[in-house]
Amino acid sequence: MRIFPENASSYGADVDFIFWLITGVITVASIIVIFLILYPILTKNKSRTKEQRYQQGKGFQKLKLIYLGIAILAIADFYFLFEEGPIWRNIEETLPEKEVHVIVMGRQWLWEFTYPGPDGKLYTADDVKTINKLYLPVNKNIHMDLQAYDVIHSVFIPHARFKQDVLPGRNITKWVKMTKTGTYPLTCAEICGIGHANMKAEIVVLLNEDYKKQMAKLYKK
Amino acid sequence: MNTHKKHGFWHRYFFSLDHKDIGFQYMLTIFVMVSIGGFFAYVFRMHLAYPEMEVPLFGLVTNKDYNMLITNHGLIMMMWLALGMLLAVAGNYLIPIMIGTDDMAFPKLNKLSYWFFLISVILMISSFFMKRGGFGGGWTMYPPLSVGDFGYNTAYTSFKDRFFTANTFVLLAITFEFIALLMGGINFFVTTLNKRAKGMTLTKMPMIVWMINIASVLFMFSVGPLIAGAFMLLLDINAGTGFYDVYRGGDPLLWEHLFWFFGHPEVYVILLPPLGIIAEIISTNSRKPLYGYKFILNLTLIAAILSMMVWAHHQFVSGIDPRAATIFSIFTIIISLPFAGIILAYIATLWNGDLKINLPMKWAIGAITLFTLIGGFTGLYLGASVFDIYAHDTSFVVAHFHYTLFPTVIFGSFAAFYYWFGKFSGRELNKFWGNVHFWLTFIFFNGFAFPLFLLGLAGQHRRIADYRQFEFLMQDPLPLYRQIATISAVILILSQFIFIFNFFWSLKRGKKVTSDNPWESNTLEWQTASPPPHGNFAVYPEVHHGPYEYNHPDREDDFLPQNKK
Repeated sequence: MRIFPENASSYGADVDFIFWLITGVITVASIIVIFLILYPILTKNKSRTKEQRYQQGKGFQKLKLIYLGIAILAIADFYFLFEEGPIWRNIEETLPEKEVHVIVMGRQWLWEFTYPGPDGKLYTADDVKTINKLYLPVNKNIHMDLQAYDVIHSVFIPHARFKQDVLPGRNITKWVKMTKTGTYPLTCAEICGIGHANMKAEIVVLLNEDYKKQMAKLYKK
Repeated sequence: MNTHKKHGFWHRYFFSLDHKDIGFQYMLTIFVMVSIGGFFAYVFRMHLAYPEMEVPLFGLVTNKDYNMLITNHGLIMMMWLALGMLLAVAGNYLIPIMIGTDDMAFPKLNKLSYWFFLISVILMISSFFMKRGGFGGGWTMYPPLSVGDFGYNTAYTSFKDRFFTANTFVLLAITFEFIALLMGGINFFVTTLNKRAKGMTLTKMPMIVWMINIASVLFMFSVGPLIAGAFMLLLDINAGTGFYDVYRGGDPLLWEHLFWFFGHPEVYVILLPPLGIIAEIISTNSRKPLYGYKFILNLTLIAAILSMMVWAHHQFVSGIDPRAATIFSIFTIIISLPFAGIILAYIATLWNGDLKINLPMKWAIGAITLFTLIGGFTGLYLGASVFDIYAHDTSFVVAHFHYTLFPTVIFGSFAAFYYWFGKFSGRELNKFWGNVHFWLTFIFFNGFAFPLFLLGLAGQHRRIADYRQFEFLMQDPLPLYRQIATISAVILILSQFIFIFNFFWSLKRGKKVTSDNPWESNTLEWQTASPPPHGNFAVYPEVHHGPYEYNHPDREDDFLPQNKK
């Protein structure tokens, strides 16, 4: 049994890495905290004198240890930030060179995908559309123009570790590179009305030749 | 000297100006709201695990019902239970009596705040019965969905049509509730500053008084943008303006910013009062001064300020500039540090203490444990913006915020109930059933919330009425996790009846308390009769010590009440 869905994108492994990194650190931290809470409860600190109890409560010896705890957590925190910074910039802030360009449009309650027509350009009259089925070539940098028609939706591709809200009247360009052929779900992760649960599309990742054949088939229709 | 009179039934429950009675009125009203919210949770959890079943007491759940149930469950639990129970009930009942005075600074304003709260509850409940059904746009109410009819495909023809909709009523209900909480907050703050007993300096106040006041002030600072946003949303719905309509010059993202600018500080408004309750309980039951009183206070103030700077971590993938996310990610991660300090100070209080593991202590330690180990630590996953891309709007988030809110709000409230019940009623809660209630709640809360982490990691997105159509979410063992979560949630809800019966039975027939100070506590509320008379004290106390002078070396017994020389 695996925890995550099978990874099928170029940056999915980086996202999973952050998960395992944080899991590792908090497992250690949890063991320490469990010990700190259980030790006094189990031993009940029977041998302490009145003065000791009062002085421990009023004194500041433990403050050093608490500062140490905060410092360790701070180091761990900033280590996470240090590790995730480049990944975030890679996924969200940069766009690699465009090889394929599609429009993903969410509307109540379906996904509409637009591909460039025979002229190879989007936003022209010969563009072709599919509903609830997105054809993508494998191992290509895909630029997706993410849009919404009516209300806020959210494009979620679990196998690619990709998510982006789409808003009406706004075009958000993000990229993905699928590394395995196959069929993957694309779902809506932001509540968008009674059909929210049914808003489900398929991503069909094809080999390059098959993708070209599929596009030619779409042009004929 | 106390000159207050004793009042009859009607006066007491409907027109009383006594802060204790108003607190009790709030408590009963909130019990009604929680019952509704809990019932909703039961219905949609059943539907998720057994989608084909007609849910007993409800019937078949349609997508429309499902959206309405989850939305109103969220709204009721966040706005009416969490904010109400921890600010209004705890603040009203505890502040005057713990600072040694007869009542609030403005008793009539206090009464008015309860009436506004009652109106808000009535508006909220009536929103379920609108012609087009209850509000189904998610508790975060993102427009443009919340402006229209949530996709029910009904056309609005007149103003009357638009006004008598669930959207309008929910927004009005929230507005009235916030007016009530503002009046309450002003009252708490003025009372605390002006009516403390002679000798009670600010640093001799019990921690919970500080926490409720910081929470109230934080609420006042953060609520403004939400009220402005809600007003614009109300105009969008009823007057046809386009503040959130992108085709008419508005922007839906504006609402998200205004909502979360309030929404994130609200989490800390909810968190601080239970931290205060826990401080009282662990210090008393460890028979040891609360470790680092001023240290905790400073960290709380730092956290309160930081909490205003983290709101956009709810919006990492909402379409904001990704470079902004980095800043919010840093602040989010930093805010874990003051809370780590506070929790470690509480744990330091346990060390070397003479621990009394009684019921309130169990709830308090249970709350710290779950809140820190699971609620707090899983926040790191979501604060790290990269993993949030995947986890955002999945069950992982649902599990995370249940692990932060449930231990604090529910465990914290129960800790308070079991701790102060004797003071409040003059009778004792049944200990055996109290223990049963604690263990059932503790075990089945985990049984309910933990599987949601695994479901979220498997990619289960939120607010979906029926997962059967998603093949990757129906692979073994995911349906089993859903069933475990549901069965645990149902047992969790059922075990709350133990508490309700225990509460009302003990209120009327419980064993009379043998002592006014059963926990041998120092704070002032324990130095008067149980229940306290109208006016609280026969002779107004004078304070000579801090609130946590346990095991003082110069004293024979192990406690030193604040008003004793």
